[in-house]
Amino acid sequence: MTRPLGLSTFVLASPFSDSAAIEAFDRTAAFGYDLIEVCIEDPALVTADALLSNAERTGLAVGICGAFGPDRDLSHPDADVRDRGLTYVRDCIDLAAAVGSPHVAGPMYAPTGQTRLLEKPEREAQLNRAADILARAAEYGAARGVALAIEPLNRFETDLVNTVEQALDLCDRIGDPSAGLLIDTFHMNIEEKRLGDAVRLAGDRVRHVQVSENDRGTPGSGHVPWDEFFDALDDIDYRGQIVVESFLPTVREIARAVSLWRPVAESMDALAQDGIAFLRERFPRSAS
Amino acid sequence: MFRYTYNTLVYGHEPIEKGIDRLARFGYDGVELIGEPAEMDVSAIRDELQRHGTRASSIISIFTPERDIVSSDPAIRRAAIEYVRGNVDLAADLGADIVTFTPTACMKIAPEADLSDEWAWAVAAAREIARYAAQHGVTIAVEPWNRYETYLITRAARAVEFVQEVGEPNIGVMADTFHMSIEEPDIAQAIRTIGSRLVHVHLADSNRAAPGYGHLDFKPIVQAIADVGYTGWISYELLPAAGDVWGVLSGAGAPEFLDEYTEAAITHTKAIVRELRLS
Repeated sequence: MTRPLGLSTFVLASPFSDSAAIEAFDRTAAFGYDLIEVCIEDPALVTADALLSNAERTGLAVGICGAFGPDRDLSHPDADVRDRGLTYVRDCIDLAAAVGSPHVAGPMYAPTGQTRLLEKPEREAQLNRAADILARAAEYGAARGVALAIEPLNRFETDLVNTVEQALDLCDRIGDPSAGLLIDTFHMNIEEKRLGDAVRLAGDRVRHVQVSENDRGTPGSGHVPWDEFFDALDDIDYRGQIVVESFLPTVREIARAVSLWRPVAESMDALAQDGIAFLRERFPRSAS
Repeated sequence: MFRYTYNTLVYGHEPIEKGIDRLARFGYDGVELIGEPAEMDVSAIRDELQRHGTRASSIISIFTPERDIVSSDPAIRRAAIEYVRGNVDLAADLGADIVTFTPTACMKIAPEADLSDEWAWAVAAAREIARYAAQHGVTIAVEPWNRYETYLITRAARAVEFVQEVGEPNIGVMADTFHMSIEEPDIAQAIRTIGSRLVHVHLADSNRAAPGYGHLDFKPIVQAIADVGYTGWISYELLPAAGDVWGVLSGAGAPEFLDEYTEAAITHTKAIVRELRLS
């Protein structure tokens, strides 16, 4: 099947855990998705066994996405701190390999929410620290058939990689073909001059796609230029996953991390249902 | 149809007379100023405006942890009200029509107190400020900010509820298209929701650069602004692509925001106004 359509567990349960898996997989399958993207907020709470048994039971594929708080800082000046971040990414890669996710995705170059003003030399040094350690992660992943999908975030969530152009620069510095990009329409709406041009610039480095409306609501309900975006995915012949992502404003830690304090859809169920309906219109189920 | 102005905040450390001269040179009708009454030489600014045959359009209020309309500390709440009253005095001194108002410190994204208490404090403060502004012929413009800069009023519809509750004739809602590009499903529709309460406009593209440098379609936006009967100031609040905007501006600054964006912004909007045959 090409272009599996997925739902992020951020829409369903946070932090995600084995005990939430049965309900999350059931609901995602019932909504009509092909895939569930499991966000690993706490690796101790999630096992490959639970994901695999639920995947088998429901027929869903599984994607793996990381969460990068202050305790997972892969570009921190202190090498011990960076190594702890690397250990987390390797844990995610092991899980991805075990459950058949083609990638580990996320803004893995710095803790989310870090927005400081740095002088150019400091910024260069930080980028190179990120590149060095992500090269080790990429190598570890390549040996297990798992790519890195590195996500640019908007200016209010990071000061390091806001645009596709900056992410490509980071990938060049990493210098490993298994390091590529996760592009997310919510962030692109803020940072990219033209979404289609940005997608084409990323080209065959796109490893993963997340879709969210300009206000983090249901794809199709706002002003993201969807036709332009999807046409560009056609232009680059993207065949990977497309995952609906939003966040539960009821979970305080998440609300704080992504500055989302108000509901952006009637309910998260409505967002999941309307999201898949919107995507299916553009990407009908292929004959199997 | 409209009068044009530009927020000189983005000119950074440049002496204000250079900014005033630039705006006059590119055909702007007014100058939008940051409200820091304690640090400004009002009579010098007034002389400079007169010398260029222009005027102040609007005063942008800057809300900080020390000036937070909904702080849990009553002394800070009072300081914030006194600060905005100072901006009203400044507007009156410089002939500006508008003073902006947002009831949280900028970049504060979580409430300190009960939300209904904060709302009530904000309403009471806005009412006091509006009544004071009325004595000076100044209008208060409530500005929704995007989710990364505030939590209390992020959308047009909420701002309309707010000014309805304040219930003073000289308080209205302003539209800033950068914030709206994050928060509103349909920017033109949101402007129609504001309707006759629209009292000030900031145009900026999706990436906070000059209109035309991002991906927003400004035609339906300008059409909506005209359709609600708005004939006030069109301003441009353009800011660098950084979470720490103040850091950028107090450092090396951002050269494209000087001549390049100043010229591009007004040219872009005037072309749309002509194309839509609004003038």
